[in-house]
Amino acid sequence: MAEVRPDEISAILRKQLSGFESEADIYDVGTVLQVGDGIARVYGLSQVMMSELVEFPNDVFGMVLNLDEDSVGCVLFGESQLIKEGDTVKRTKRVASMPVGKEMLGRVITPLGVPIDGKGAISTDEYLPIERKALGVIQRAPVKEPLQTGIAAIDSMIPIGRGQRELIIGDRQTGKTAVAIDAIINQKYTHTDEAKELGIEPVYCIYVAVGQKGSTVAQVVAKLEENGAMDYTTVISATATEPTPLQYIAPYSGATLGEYFRDKGKHALVVYDDLSKHAVAYREISLLLRRPPGREAYPGDVFYLHSRLLERASKLSDDLGGGSLTALPIIETQQGDVSAYIPTNVISITDGQIYLESSLFNAGVRPAINVGISVSRVGGNAQIKAMKKVAGSLKLDLAQYRALEAFAKFGSDLDVHTQRTLAKGARLVELLKQGQYVPVLVERQVVAIYLGTNGYLDDIDIADVKRYEKEVLEFVEMKYNQIFESIKKEKKLSDDNVELIKKAADEFAAVFK
Amino acid sequence: MNEYKVSIRYSSSLLETAISKNLFEEISSDVDFILNVFRSSKQLVSVMESPVIKWQLKLAIIEEIFKGKINDETLNFLRFVIKKGRENYFVNIFEKYLDLKDEHLGIVNVDVKTAFAFDNKQSKTLKKNLEQKFNKQVRLNYSIDNTILGGFIAKIGDTVHDASIKHQLELLKKKFLEGGITLN
Repeated sequence: MAEVRPDEISAILRKQLSGFESEADIYDVGTVLQVGDGIARVYGLSQVMMSELVEFPNDVFGMVLNLDEDSVGCVLFGESQLIKEGDTVKRTKRVASMPVGKEMLGRVITPLGVPIDGKGAISTDEYLPIERKALGVIQRAPVKEPLQTGIAAIDSMIPIGRGQRELIIGDRQTGKTAVAIDAIINQKYTHTDEAKELGIEPVYCIYVAVGQKGSTVAQVVAKLEENGAMDYTTVISATATEPTPLQYIAPYSGATLGEYFRDKGKHALVVYDDLSKHAVAYREISLLLRRPPGREAYPGDVFYLHSRLLERASKLSDDLGGGSLTALPIIETQQGDVSAYIPTNVISITDGQIYLESSLFNAGVRPAINVGISVSRVGGNAQIKAMKKVAGSLKLDLAQYRALEAFAKFGSDLDVHTQRTLAKGARLVELLKQGQYVPVLVERQVVAIYLGTNGYLDDIDIADVKRYEKEVLEFVEMKYNQIFESIKKEKKLSDDNVELIKKAADEFAAVFK
Repeated sequence: MNEYKVSIRYSSSLLETAISKNLFEEISSDVDFILNVFRSSKQLVSVMESPVIKWQLKLAIIEEIFKGKINDETLNFLRFVIKKGRENYFVNIFEKYLDLKDEHLGIVNVDVKTAFAFDNKQSKTLKKNLEQKFNKQVRLNYSIDNTILGGFIAKIGDTVHDASIKHQLELLKKKFLEGGITLN
């Protein structure tokens, strides 16, 4: 039997431990004056920086948010019960930061980058500060590439470009999260080889859950996994049970992770779900830190809270790699009141908004997007030409339909022209209905909308519109696949293609029943 | 929070008066004396802190205790503080005065915690090294704490120089947990 002599072991120990430094360790300390409600007031720490991480006993970390004349206000990222008055607080000399990297994809993490999905540690060695300044004018470029959400109503009339900030706003239970999740799922296409050949760059997704139920987050993660979207997605979770400071920093860490991809010349999509709860979390912290309350008891800098977050969404200039960070913030309104404080703030910050309405939702129009008041201020430049061409008349037809909608109940008393407009509008609304988790590729959207706006649906029963759409697209795919191929490649609707679509539609009309 | 602002304002004015009137030595020793009196009598502190007792009475008490024993300037300062209704901050004000005095004289206070009492030679070496480091006079205040096991912890203001065995062991433990040191 092999033998190991004790002195050999101690020699090895000595050798291995020789790297351990034993010089005096120099650090700055303070003393806890007061602790409670997730806030600690600390005396000392005279050199501490704003938003620096500080270390409390029992491995609780805090972040400095207030620098007063004789004390420092910190928020705690752990339980305040673990900290007593008189405890020693140590500086860490680094501002709150999180690990970033490709390894984060497919994981569920806390805002500080700690995995909570039970899949083991994440090995990255790159750290970025959670609060970063947004880019200046020189570094940016205009938004020009489309970010397809796979939802026909959005991609056609409220297009979103890469680097845009598009607000999703609506009451509870109107499908706000569903829109965002569909957008994430639709990015799966950008990761395929086919997209690579067509020059469509992959979009990495980050879903930030702020103050949500743990069960909702679990559901979202399960849905993303089911649809194979987790491979390119990171979920940052600060559920309602987490301390408020974690909910406060969650969107910023989402932006930091997104910026990591952006700065590498890649594309990222961040969903902030939702910023109303984020504002509430920040209000709680501010009031506990005794900052003066303002309108609706929010602190004075609640606008800056969201503007500095959403300004971080950007499209980089080609010199800097041309990456992008698209933001889809979500705001929950109460009883459709968009003139409340936080909704108006975020509406004014973003480049457009998608309104979801509960009345539409209940009437069966799902996604319940009110296309009349939804806008996109920059995305139009990012639409592919084919979509631009067909969406113009779609917008017009729907606007006419809305103007006449009130007369619909008069039925046959109306003149023929009005009746035709109403019938067409009703069919277009039906065409834009779409199931959850079934994003539609853009070339299919183009063909379907072309048929809708050019009267091919007018003779079809409203109840059969969805079936017609499904079957005609299958028909085109089988017999005239070159239409799809050419829209995909050339990104425009050539006259030859229009003829082909017409031909296909006529052929299909003969067999459709 | 308030007491900090109040005490620093009064104590700095006392120090400025002392320097401008060339009474620095006298007033400083008065402050030591007054602090001793306050520390030795808890009742005096509670009388001064009591909001029920009228300031005239407090003034009479202070006059009776200190008159003739301290410099007139210092006594005037006591009267002034009482008239302004800040007598409950007396101890804070005078403690702050001592800090400001040290700052004025260029003396750094260092709290040194050791596991065992340092002998003369050790404390001289420590003092010499610290004085070299800060380029200032150093006053060492020793305290003994067995739990640090060995070495010493020197605290200067908010900065801690930790050379204790306890801290070394904690760091070593952390390194082991991180896997920074592996035993092959």
